[in-house]
Amino acid sequence: MEGFFARGSTGPAATVAGPVLGALRVEKHLEEPMTQSVWGPVRQEMYDLLQSHPDDVPAVVDQLTKLQDILGRVPPLLAGNPLCDFNSLYLTITEGVLERLYAGKFKDPAFLSRLDVEFAARYFDALRAWAGPSESPRCPRVWAGLFQRIPGPDCRPLPAACAGVNAHINFDLPFALVTTFDHLGTDPIDDSDQHHDYLQINEIFAVSIPGLRRGYLDKWQLLIDTMNGCLDDWWQGEAVEYTRNVAWRNAQKLWGLRHDMGATDKERAHLDRISADLGRLLLSPLGEFLQ
Amino acid sequence: MASEEGDDGPLVGRTDTLAEVLSDLRNVGPGGTAAVFVTGESGVGKSRLLRETARAMSAAGVAVLSGTCLDIGDASPLHPVLQALRQAEPRLRQSDTSADDPGALLDRVSRDLRAVAGGRRLLLVLDDLQWADRSTRQLLLYLLAGLGGVELSVLAAVRAEALHGAHPLRRVLAELRRLRSVRVVDLSPLDRAQTQELVSAITGGPVEPEDSDRVFKRSGGNPFVVEELARDLRDGRVELSDTLREIFLSRVDELPAPAHSVVHAISAGVEPIEHAVLARVTKLGEDELIEAIRAAVAHRFVASSAEGYRLRHRLVAEILEAEVLPAEATSLHRRYAEAMEAGGTIDHARLAHHWQRAGEPARALPSVVAAARSAEKLYGFTEAHRYWSLALDLTADDAPERTELLAHAAESAHLCGEHQRALARLAELAGRPDAPGRCDLHLRRARYLAAAGRSATAEVEYQLALEAPDCTPRQRASAAAYLAELLVHLCRYADAFERAAEALDLAAENGSTADLVRASAALGFSSAFREDPDAGLAVIRQAVEIAERSGHPDDLGVAYLHLAELLTGPLNKVEEGVLVARRGAERLASLGVGRTYQTRLLAIAGNGLFRVGQWSEADTVLEAAMRHRPSGADAVELLLARCRLWVGFGNIEAATRDLDAVATLLAGGGARHVLPMLTLRSGLAMWQRQHTQARAAVQRGLTETRADDLMLLGILAWHGLRAEAEALSDGEQVDPGALRRLKTVVQRMTDGVDSAATPVRAVIDGYIELCNAEISRIEQRHDPEPWLRAATAWDRRSQPYPAAYSRLRRAEAALTRRTTSTRKATAVIALREAYATTIAMGARPLADEIIATAQRFRVALADDVPTLPLRPPDPNPGDELGILTSREREVLAAMAEGLTNREIGEKLFISERTVGVHVGHIFDKLQVRTRVQASRVFLTAA
Repeated sequence: MEGFFARGSTGPAATVAGPVLGALRVEKHLEEPMTQSVWGPVRQEMYDLLQSHPDDVPAVVDQLTKLQDILGRVPPLLAGNPLCDFNSLYLTITEGVLERLYAGKFKDPAFLSRLDVEFAARYFDALRAWAGPSESPRCPRVWAGLFQRIPGPDCRPLPAACAGVNAHINFDLPFALVTTFDHLGTDPIDDSDQHHDYLQINEIFAVSIPGLRRGYLDKWQLLIDTMNGCLDDWWQGEAVEYTRNVAWRNAQKLWGLRHDMGATDKERAHLDRISADLGRLLLSPLGEFLQ
Repeated sequence: MASEEGDDGPLVGRTDTLAEVLSDLRNVGPGGTAAVFVTGESGVGKSRLLRETARAMSAAGVAVLSGTCLDIGDASPLHPVLQALRQAEPRLRQSDTSADDPGALLDRVSRDLRAVAGGRRLLLVLDDLQWADRSTRQLLLYLLAGLGGVELSVLAAVRAEALHGAHPLRRVLAELRRLRSVRVVDLSPLDRAQTQELVSAITGGPVEPEDSDRVFKRSGGNPFVVEELARDLRDGRVELSDTLREIFLSRVDELPAPAHSVVHAISAGVEPIEHAVLARVTKLGEDELIEAIRAAVAHRFVASSAEGYRLRHRLVAEILEAEVLPAEATSLHRRYAEAMEAGGTIDHARLAHHWQRAGEPARALPSVVAAARSAEKLYGFTEAHRYWSLALDLTADDAPERTELLAHAAESAHLCGEHQRALARLAELAGRPDAPGRCDLHLRRARYLAAAGRSATAEVEYQLALEAPDCTPRQRASAAAYLAELLVHLCRYADAFERAAEALDLAAENGSTADLVRASAALGFSSAFREDPDAGLAVIRQAVEIAERSGHPDDLGVAYLHLAELLTGPLNKVEEGVLVARRGAERLASLGVGRTYQTRLLAIAGNGLFRVGQWSEADTVLEAAMRHRPSGADAVELLLARCRLWVGFGNIEAATRDLDAVATLLAGGGARHVLPMLTLRSGLAMWQRQHTQARAAVQRGLTETRADDLMLLGILAWHGLRAEAEALSDGEQVDPGALRRLKTVVQRMTDGVDSAATPVRAVIDGYIELCNAEISRIEQRHDPEPWLRAATAWDRRSQPYPAAYSRLRRAEAALTRRTTSTRKATAVIALREAYATTIAMGARPLADEIIATAQRFRVALADDVPTLPLRPPDPNPGDELGILTSREREVLAAMAEGLTNREIGEKLFISERTVGVHVGHIFDKLQVRTRVQASRVFLTAA
């Protein structure tokens, strides 16, 4: 199905119409009880949960908590599946954000709350779009890479969680930032209140990922180096600052393009490709040495 | 996008969706509007669904207006709606002149829409909404919020692909889908069986299962592709094409040469393309052209309608665009531009589009500039900014006109909130040899920085402007006044006072009236906050006099606003402030100008009247303000003020309607008003005993409030604690986490209150008292003392509503304690006082609580209030319908006529589902089981 338009086509028809045909399988898929679902016995619960669209941070935490329970019951790996590892980390991080919001630690909480909601929405969107490999044209490739490992083969928890972090930060976050700024009528300026709030989340990440210390980052850098140009300059030199700053830079880039739908789509495909490559690496046997 | 009418294939697999969409469009919310957004991939049949729906609604007597958004990226503001209006009423073109302000423009468009509707309900159909400009999106929200006074249903199609990434509609739809009157429908591709049905309908006979399976596989169930593949099958093409591209490219080859050029010409144009333009572009003779078009239509490339020609489908356009050679495209665009100029069309946006793609930037420039100016006339600053930027892209660095273009680009970026862009443009402008003077540049940079919230840098820029050698006395006065204003916003009152005094001197000598007013206001506010209120007041009063003498509406508006704000705010002289606000509004009204200022002044008056408890007067004032048909932030503020009143009155329906309207407007962006909205939402939920909603609204508010905004935190914390206490009194559990967080907030307020300015401190103190009292209520201490303190605090602020509430709780605590008879007497007095206040204000729900409390403790409130709860009146057989709401009675009447739920829905303009709910309630209330029984009750009673 995906190849329907692909062959010999270089024009806009290929980029615009190509990947979309056969989309919206998810909803259909979930609605038809007779169809085999990727979610197995929790299919209905998954469908019901994803029907709601949280619009504040407490609701996001609530949704992630329920998701954690459901994901832990997906056979055969149950709580050992890689998405479970990521979701658990993401839940911890979002709880940390909520804690700080309540404690009044952010300069512009309206911005940070919107960003958190908008950010999470993209993860839930990806889950909604997932109906199995080659059945999910609407699911970003970077997420599909992680989702298709849910039934196995097994991988270590840290690289699994990092693969999710990679998808969520390198791919989802820049777009979430642009949408949030656009909605609030401000723009992404370095050293602004919003930028400082945004950087605070790095601290939450640092304490939430047990392995994410100096040594871990060195290994990460080593991993990048072994990739040697497979990832382009987008990554080079930024690794030590951790990918969140890359997301901020990418958001600034996207901000300038946001009125140009064609250019935004292209950038989106580009980011998806690069982060998907990195994600594949993290989930490969190579990724295990991070643990 | 549009596959055109006339050659529609059979509609397969959409019957249920169509019925649902029709029902949803009738299911208007409290504001009298409804909307359905259809999303789905290209070719899935969105346009078709829109068309079928429009047809059905039109047949049911609804006025229908259709527009399509353009994908040229730089369409003019409000394009799809204005285009739709012009098609419906060509004479409206005449009234298409500029308006005084953005609100007046929206108002005018609404008026035109009402004229087209002619008393009927209006269905506005918008295709390809993903290409809508910002102005169109804002107009839609304005109309859906009910502000245009149009009984409107909106049906719009959005390409699903567009909602990925960071498209602005993504957020808009996410916010809107929470409203009961808005539905987002995802249109899925057909399944295997439906595909087969469609294939056999087109081939007109039985189909081999493997053939239809092949079609299903290749099309992915996309109806547009299914149709084309099925046609191939019918026409006996042995080998099915593998791609849509192949289908259409092989059809292109079969076209006669003139038709071939028609198809290519249309693919380069901006649809719909008028016949005359097409004739000029193709250079074909009349007969030859008509024959060529016929062939193109027959080969299913082109669709023809009254407005002009289009390609049959977006997917076809995309295939053809890739086929046209670049040189060919350039020449086609040139011919379009020439044809449009020759034809005297003044669509600057389109003309600019074609000249640009014709590789003639110099010829594009005048149109681009004209398009920018006309966008500014329609208050489409975002669009204007994009045109100015485009104009810059079209000019070389050494072009002399670049300086002026840069100035426009910077200013329009500033006006549409692109602060960073504005500053970048300004930096480039500063580098030009013929740049404006240094002082001018510093002033502009300071304004842009202040708008971007970078106050520290802005302050430096104002200083630099003042020090610039080329600074004229007038500029100096202006810079000083702006700087003083900035310092007030930064709460640096001492600095502000000093700077304002200096600015006032400068302005008195050399400044404009605007500078004088600005400086006076800064001086007035800074003195008021520095505990010299009388001096401040005198200065601002003087500013009003100056403005009166100048008679300029802006000066008058600003001066009256400042005076009214100072009086009702920091000085707490609410009654006088209300008088000033009303007088200012009348003054401007007598001049027939300054609609925006009138609205804002009336909003201040309304809010002031609310606080002093003159609610019916507040109602009148807000009603008058709404008649000015405000838009944007002004509208949000008025709706919030009016909603506050409805919550106080206990008019739940009206409060819900205004809250929905606010939520609709805020779907377009803006953070400032979210918190008041959440506070009202929680207050309303509490009257309805919906504790979960009340608590959730407060918790969300707490996550979005700045830690230093003690005023907002105070209101929220009080609502949160009250919600916990109310839940507890209804036998629910207190949420320990929420309670802990709320207590932390109260602590933060207590710690921070001393550093707040005096006038602010008094209000925060009032909220702290209320919070502490609610905490004692949650701890079930039944202590009247904290409530007494709260009542006193609010009495001091002359705010009877929270004072009456505190008295009720005070009495309740005292009476629960079963104290001495003296204490009981004091409690009774407090209760009676609270009752008298609430009755005078019309605060129904609070009065009801007071009555319930009085009855619980057998206290007589007043002569006309029974001490004991009345028994429900004996069921009177003649008045059985009395227990039904008026809507239920309407439904019952229709039911008694023998109408089905669907027919009732159509008659009453509500969805079938809603009718079902009403019928359920009617059965419950009348204790009947069947429609016949219910009808009998109705007929007996009537």
